[in-house]
Amino acid sequence: MDKAVATLDKGTTCSSWNYCGQRLATGSTDGTLSIFDSPDPSSSSFTCNLKTKVHAGAILKVVWVPPEFGDAVACICSDGSLLLWEEIVEDAQPLQWKLCKSFESTSTQVLDVQFGVSSTSLKLVAAYSDGHVKVYELLDPLILKNWQLQAEFQNAIDSVTMFRKASCISASISWNPQKGENQGSSFVLGFNSDTPQLNSSKVWEFDEAHNRWLPVAELALPEDRSDEVYAVAWALNIGRPYEVIAVATQKGIAIWHVGANPELDGRLSVEKVALLSGHGGEVWQMEWDMSGTTLATTGSDGMVRLWQSNLNGVWDEQAAFQPTA
Amino acid sequence: MSGENQGGAIVPYSEEAKKPVVYPLRHGLKPPISRLGISWSRGNSLRVTVFRQPSEDSENEVGGKAVEVRLDGRDGEISDAQWRRIAYGSVSPFALLQSRKNSFASLSKISSTTSPFDAEWWEYVLEYSKDISSLLGNQTSTTQSLIEDPKEVLKKDPEPSNLKAAWELMESFYADKLSQAWLPERLVDWLADYDSLFSSTQETVHSKLVDFQKDLVSLQVIEDEPKYWEVMSSALAVGWLDIVVKLLRLHGSYQLDQLGNRETENGLVEAVAVLISKMPRMRPELEAGKLGECFKAKPDFMKAWEKWRAQIAKLECSTFWIQCAHRQTQEGLRNMLQIMLGNTNNLCTLTCHWMELYIAHFLYIRPFTVGLESMYGLAQKCIQLKPMAASHRLMGLLIGILGENIEVVLAECSKGFGPWMVTHAIEVLTAGSHQADTLLHEERDNLGGISMEELHRLVYAQVLSSHPLTWQIAPIYLTSCIKQGMGLLEMLLYKQPVDHNQLLLKNLEICRLYELDSVSSNIMKIAGMYNWKHGKKGSGVYWLQQARDEARLNRIAQQMFDSVGRSISDENFRQWEGLIQLLGSEPKTAGGLEFLHNYRDFKKSLLQIRDGKTTDAARQAVESLISLMKNPCTPQRFWLPLLHDSLKLLNWEERPLLNVLQTNLLLNKLQELSIARLRPDFIEADLPPHALSSVRLALATNLGRTTLEEQ
Repeated sequence: MDKAVATLDKGTTCSSWNYCGQRLATGSTDGTLSIFDSPDPSSSSFTCNLKTKVHAGAILKVVWVPPEFGDAVACICSDGSLLLWEEIVEDAQPLQWKLCKSFESTSTQVLDVQFGVSSTSLKLVAAYSDGHVKVYELLDPLILKNWQLQAEFQNAIDSVTMFRKASCISASISWNPQKGENQGSSFVLGFNSDTPQLNSSKVWEFDEAHNRWLPVAELALPEDRSDEVYAVAWALNIGRPYEVIAVATQKGIAIWHVGANPELDGRLSVEKVALLSGHGGEVWQMEWDMSGTTLATTGSDGMVRLWQSNLNGVWDEQAAFQPTA
Repeated sequence: MSGENQGGAIVPYSEEAKKPVVYPLRHGLKPPISRLGISWSRGNSLRVTVFRQPSEDSENEVGGKAVEVRLDGRDGEISDAQWRRIAYGSVSPFALLQSRKNSFASLSKISSTTSPFDAEWWEYVLEYSKDISSLLGNQTSTTQSLIEDPKEVLKKDPEPSNLKAAWELMESFYADKLSQAWLPERLVDWLADYDSLFSSTQETVHSKLVDFQKDLVSLQVIEDEPKYWEVMSSALAVGWLDIVVKLLRLHGSYQLDQLGNRETENGLVEAVAVLISKMPRMRPELEAGKLGECFKAKPDFMKAWEKWRAQIAKLECSTFWIQCAHRQTQEGLRNMLQIMLGNTNNLCTLTCHWMELYIAHFLYIRPFTVGLESMYGLAQKCIQLKPMAASHRLMGLLIGILGENIEVVLAECSKGFGPWMVTHAIEVLTAGSHQADTLLHEERDNLGGISMEELHRLVYAQVLSSHPLTWQIAPIYLTSCIKQGMGLLEMLLYKQPVDHNQLLLKNLEICRLYELDSVSSNIMKIAGMYNWKHGKKGSGVYWLQQARDEARLNRIAQQMFDSVGRSISDENFRQWEGLIQLLGSEPKTAGGLEFLHNYRDFKKSLLQIRDGKTTDAARQAVESLISLMKNPCTPQRFWLPLLHDSLKLLNWEERPLLNVLQTNLLLNKLQELSIARLRPDFIEADLPPHALSSVRLALATNLGRTTLEEQ
């Protein structure tokens, strides 16, 4: 049932598969970015074809850029910087990985970054350790070099108050994965910080008319709003009349149904349909499958768990995987 | 398990099974493990990355593993290749049935008399079921040796599979309308084919026969062996008449040298053998080689049955038994008569599990059983009398069927035999039961508005999608899903790699087939960008054009402007020339292309002049220059580079090439440019600082010369 597909080098800390599962990017403590490929699409054995040192410190997270914009990855490094590296042939030079953009910040660190594709452009959301969120937009679809800061805000419903001394340990961003022309941009974001107002997961939507980002839903019950968020995951929607988003806090993994159309006050209706407990402590990562019905999670208990809803809408753990030598 | 207390689960759990199954995930790494990463690959295969905490001691240690976990719910009974054969083979029966269903549906809209439960529809479903069944392997062996070995009582079947056995159950009970009248006999046949499947967990009549077959060769006086009689009785109890008769005829009394002094004994053996082979059966026909007399109508059958039983009873009371000197033969034969007379105790001892006992009941105790309700009752009784050593998935399915509990049938199909089975079995299930039809087609809010039928198809399509050799047939199933199939198909297509041309073309073909234009343009966009960035600029432009991606094409045209605008001597102009050609001349696809074409012509002429060509070329170049400068499409930032490139033309030695009008036009443009340079957003061309003044000087000189000439 299980089969090893790639062997990683010593010191590897993070990994990411590209859109079709045919390339694996990994980052390590010494700042090396490794790219694994398979010889042909039917093979499921991947070998490292490239290693390049992208940073003096460690790479903490690797994220692939959507394939409409080439083969490129974003690396979050231990000093809090964000680097974009791209595989490209330039002029008469051979194929190589090149740094195409470096987002540097002196005082704060990037905690998470995710890309969202809209019909016209590529957007990048970065969450920072001071509780700020920055949305950048790519200016030229051919070159990953020029980014424009489109918006900067904090993850709070009340946009007037600024929380100056926020200190965040981690953040999790998940874009609405819907593809299609009439789809607006939206994402969900939650923090693990010392500032209660910033923590709870909020759904942010881009208001084209006024060119601004608005919080349209908060995925936390009033009593849970200050809970630190470990991870969020927006499920693919292949035809449901509502959206499904998973939010992990220390209380467990909550499954939320989010209405598709805004109510009179511009907010989306939300309903918490399940609270799943399994990993005990921290949840490291959550991923929805391609039909948006099975949620895979992993956390500090060292297990991988699969969750599904039954015919009565009751969520249950379907299977668990225990890594063994 | 009953349907009520399962909380409507897709796969029902009993209460204690509520805890999920924990599977080991073997990675082969030395501890400690510091972290895990997860990612869904195509379909429902999950990739788990296991990161190891680095330790100081060794240099060349492994830092982690990426492991792929397949969640397709298949057991090891069927090999990967066989499974793919089944998957591919079931596509056309499934698709054919769907299209027939659609035409039936459109017919029933016209006339209300046609319903999918019509006789004609049954035939289609049965045809479908037979097609599927034939994919799962042939039950009867096709290669029979010409010379039959008299001591080979048990024919070797080509490996019966649980999947095939399960499908046959579904077919008998739901698809084959004609078999409804003789279901018990169908079960007799079924057990004869599949009893061996239960042998792995417990003793069966089949396993007894297999064991005895091994001993048979070494036995001298077979009738002295108690096992001989026991095995025969067991086989008789489950109705394997041909085997019993064959074994009986191995009896020593048939041997020519003994026939004389064992006449009565042999007569009794033969009488029993004849009675066995004349057993009345309530069924339309029997396979060649199988024994019994078939009756289609119940009254005829009942009459024959009474007569047969009377003959057995008569033989039982016969005085010949006293004359039979061989004790084992006498006891063995009378035991067999007891079986045929329906002696419950004998039947219970001679059978090994409830299903065998159940069959024995049908054959000898309750031969007139009809209707699922009484069949279910009898099954319950047999289960109590002779439970199985271990629960078996086939039995779970059978009980569900007999209990007329569609939810359990579905759950057992899914749990025991996986997504392929459920998806395909639903077709026979809904055809055979109104209850199933309603249950499976009801749209459920908890499933996001889809029916259970659709859910199971989606799950199966995901299983297909997870393998590079089967993803291509997933669209057939997805397009049969009204609500969410297309959404999943789009996702599936989006997740196919574009860097292999063959795969890309296949992918686009599927898009074309299902009219998924936006997906196909997205795929072409990805392919375009992949090629563009990987040095295959021509293919890049080609795919972006196919995708009608104007934004990117415009940017490419822009890049060309920038590149070609640098200088005439720029060697890469030749490289770009081809691309400009490729970008085409339709102004719709990319603005400014007209300019690029003119520009190319202009540069060509200039190159010819530099290579020492004639004044004609120079005249042509001047014409190109003027048309470029007149054209409003020509970006302003090109004016100066163009004029600078043309210095040689402006200072043409033989005679001035531009007339007064043309020179004035260029001077005006130069003037406009000088004013524009004052604006802050002006982009300075990459030219020597004196470029503007040398152009101005050249134009002024030319004006002077041409004015003189025109006068």
